[in-house]
Amino acid sequence: MIFIKFLLITILTIIFVIFSFSSKLKIFQKLIVISGYLLVFIFIINPSYSDEVAHLFSIQSGTDLVVYIVLALTVLMNIILYVGQNNNNRMITKIVRENAKQHAKKSA
Amino acid sequence: MKESEIAIVIPLYNEESVIDHVLSELTGMFPQYSIIVVDDNSTDTSYQHVLNHSVYLLKHIINLGQGAALQTGIEYARELNCKIVITFDSDGQHDPKYIEPFIAPLQNNEADIILGSRFLGTTENMPLQKKYLLKASRVFTWMTTGILLTDSHNGFRAIHIGRFPNFEIIQNRMAHASEIINIIKELKMRYQEKACTIRYTEYTLKKGQSMWNSINIVLDYFLGNMMK
Repeated sequence: MIFIKFLLITILTIIFVIFSFSSKLKIFQKLIVISGYLLVFIFIINPSYSDEVAHLFSIQSGTDLVVYIVLALTVLMNIILYVGQNNNNRMITKIVRENAKQHAKKSA
Repeated sequence: MKESEIAIVIPLYNEESVIDHVLSELTGMFPQYSIIVVDDNSTDTSYQHVLNHSVYLLKHIINLGQGAALQTGIEYARELNCKIVITFDSDGQHDPKYIEPFIAPLQNNEADIILGSRFLGTTENMPLQKKYLLKASRVFTWMTTGILLTDSHNGFRAIHIGRFPNFEIIQNRMAHASEIINIIKELKMRYQEKACTIRYTEYTLKKGQSMWNSINIVLDYFLGNMMK
């Protein structure tokens, strides 16, 4: 059990460190990431705390709370990725269109 | 209005076996109009075939979709100072004899956009499945835009782009047909539906939209509207 906890904390810390160094985050974003890290850290050390936090939101168990958070984060990530992809598509369309107009030819 | 201010925009993708016939018909009947072909990065020899005809030829360096090709053609028509644009399919489904009746109401200032309808005209060899799919899309368009048409997904249109400088198609793929109806509503364009014949052949049916793709179109339409 201790080994699993140690493994989870190691993985969490590696993700946190990589994320912190590879992203240019604003102060409030840094606070959210640090709070998330600490919360998950505490939940791993003492899972019963997750039940107590879940009860604050009228959710029965800590496991349910974790599932809901993961689900919400997945939806949020998908929306962020879709918006980014859509912006890229629009820029690509603009470039391809300008190129087509610049190289237009009157054939025959 | 000068006849050179009228453009026929043809989005082209992999139509090597029919494009010669389509362009021969159009250049023969309308030598005075600017014919703009936008090759959406065909993987066959369509591009080479177009080079044999007296038309403006543009090429997308990557495949973007029919909506994007149409918008490229419309923008190029604006650069040529064209005021009216006819959108015409490259697969031979459309009959060029309807082009002039489509232009007349725009020239007479009776409408801003003319939409072709296969249900007002004659349609050759339309499969039943296609018929019901088009009826369903008509209801879908009515529910999303409030405009009830007899045929909401017909690629044969005449648009007075001179009166509407902000007419712009954003949807790159097939959802552009529903988007155009939405633009009509947003820009308060005066529209008319006119009969036109759609020629369904074994070739055009093979290349047509599948039932599954219509789900993608609906999804594209809603997501595209959300991102506007």
